[in-house]
Amino acid sequence: MKEFNVIGKNVIKKDAVDKVLGKAKFAADMKLPNMLVAGVKRSEVPSGKVININAEKAKKVPGVVSVLTYKDIPGENIIGIINKDEPILVEDKIRRIGDAIAIVAAEDESTLEKALELIEVEIEETQGVFTIEDALKEDSPKVHGDTNILAEKILKRGDVDAAFKKCDVIVENEYSTPVIAHMFIEPEATLANYEEGIITFYSSTQNPHYDRGEVARMLGITLNRVRSVQATTGGGFGGKLDISTQCHTALLAFYTNRPIKMVRSREESMKVSSKRHPHYMKFKTGATKDGKILATDVELLQDTGAYGSYGLAVITRSMVHAQGPYEIPNVRIRAKMVYTNNPMSGAMRGFGVPQVAIGHEGQMDALAEKLGIDPVEIRTKNCFQTGSVTATGQKLVDSIGIYETIKKAADKAEQIMDKEGK
Amino acid sequence: MEKVKISFKLNGENVTVETPPNKRLLDLLREDFELTSVKEGCGEGECGACTVILNNEAVTSCTVLAPQVDNCEVVTVEGLGKDGELDKLQEKFIEEGAVQCGYCTPGMLLSAKALLEKNPHPSRDEIKTAIEGNLCRCTGYKKIVDAIEASIEE
Repeated sequence: MKEFNVIGKNVIKKDAVDKVLGKAKFAADMKLPNMLVAGVKRSEVPSGKVININAEKAKKVPGVVSVLTYKDIPGENIIGIINKDEPILVEDKIRRIGDAIAIVAAEDESTLEKALELIEVEIEETQGVFTIEDALKEDSPKVHGDTNILAEKILKRGDVDAAFKKCDVIVENEYSTPVIAHMFIEPEATLANYEEGIITFYSSTQNPHYDRGEVARMLGITLNRVRSVQATTGGGFGGKLDISTQCHTALLAFYTNRPIKMVRSREESMKVSSKRHPHYMKFKTGATKDGKILATDVELLQDTGAYGSYGLAVITRSMVHAQGPYEIPNVRIRAKMVYTNNPMSGAMRGFGVPQVAIGHEGQMDALAEKLGIDPVEIRTKNCFQTGSVTATGQKLVDSIGIYETIKKAADKAEQIMDKEGK
Repeated sequence: MEKVKISFKLNGENVTVETPPNKRLLDLLREDFELTSVKEGCGEGECGACTVILNNEAVTSCTVLAPQVDNCEVVTVEGLGKDGELDKLQEKFIEEGAVQCGYCTPGMLLSAKALLEKNPHPSRDEIKTAIEGNLCRCTGYKKIVDAIEASIEE
């Protein structure tokens, strides 16, 4: 085999030395002279209307330098990776527990805490929606606009209904997957500084270029006046693609002309960071008696929570993967992604693909059982090969390793499991 | 709050500092001594990112108050290794690919160090027990355990 410089070699990570020495600078480790600390006043209810925000008492606390609300945003007060639907600071409508209402910069942590407590927010709590079923009811409260459906899509190949008539066995099952948090070990943090007309911010982020655009639009300034720098980042797994502390720190730096640092507590991070989209799935799969799958019909309902985040990418990816790594000539995938007043769902390792895997693999086991054939055999019999065509019409020509992978996994499993399969 | 004066040995040097009695050891090390290798991950002793060695035991510094270390000995990652040389553990963490995002790394190294000081030839299970209070979300732990095992002196 050909020798490569990197492939097949144990390459030393270039920042590993700094990390074992504890020298790598994460955003919370950075500081600048004259720096202030900052925090966010958040909603404690999931659904409501803001009647009044009174920050007078907070502003009078010695050591409080700035208290800002949506009224202080010079540019646009709306962010979102794909569709823009999340306010940087709430104007009137509360859509989840943890929505940001006001931000504070203070000389030290204890002053900051006191000021956040003293901000008085009058909220009229309203009925929210917390299940997909409720969100889809005609008379349900609407999280955004006049419908709770963020997206609805259909993917078809062949004729599913006709194919089911030719099947010897059909299995129908429902599956659900829960909300999951990424739980990156480093909570989100940003250090922002506004100097000579340039805003610079160092963040724990996976998306510095996107952060830059959002901060520029919020401040109503051109991109060449915004520097977004990714600090050493303590894990993300998709959960640090959304805006966290970037806009709030940048806005406070812009107003105070002093460096601003904001570090989330674990509790705050857990409350407002994105989560894995919960899925509710119906699968109907049919096969011939010798185990060849002829058709699959899938319905996906997905909860994006209060905001879209990466939802529009998740709906597409979950659909194109819902047939699994199996060649199926007749496929119908219907999906709806809905808003609720639950925590925001976003990107998380796999973008909907791990969720639908629970479904298509459950179906493979159910078919194998019904047909009385080996679960490995039904998979190898149907899995993609070079030349297979997917539901989207893509012909697979290269790197189709699934057959070999299943075989090797089965061999390994046999080696390590005892005869009872434990 | 009235400050208290405390003295302790930090990474081999005697230090004295005045601190509010309710300050966490974590904040004392990060703010007063600028030892930012000590990380905060949860603030309630669950994740182990803030682990330091206190009198030969690995402890979470977010659940220790500063005055509690009066007359004690504290070691952070800055205190590992000698004369510009990496500690064997640090070397093996690099070689074995046990470092990814790096946020849990200092705490992980110190839990391992505390183990090896007491038990120079631990079994794989003893290594796992020693780091059970240190969460890592990147590696899946295998390479961390491999690295600690590889650092055991012959």
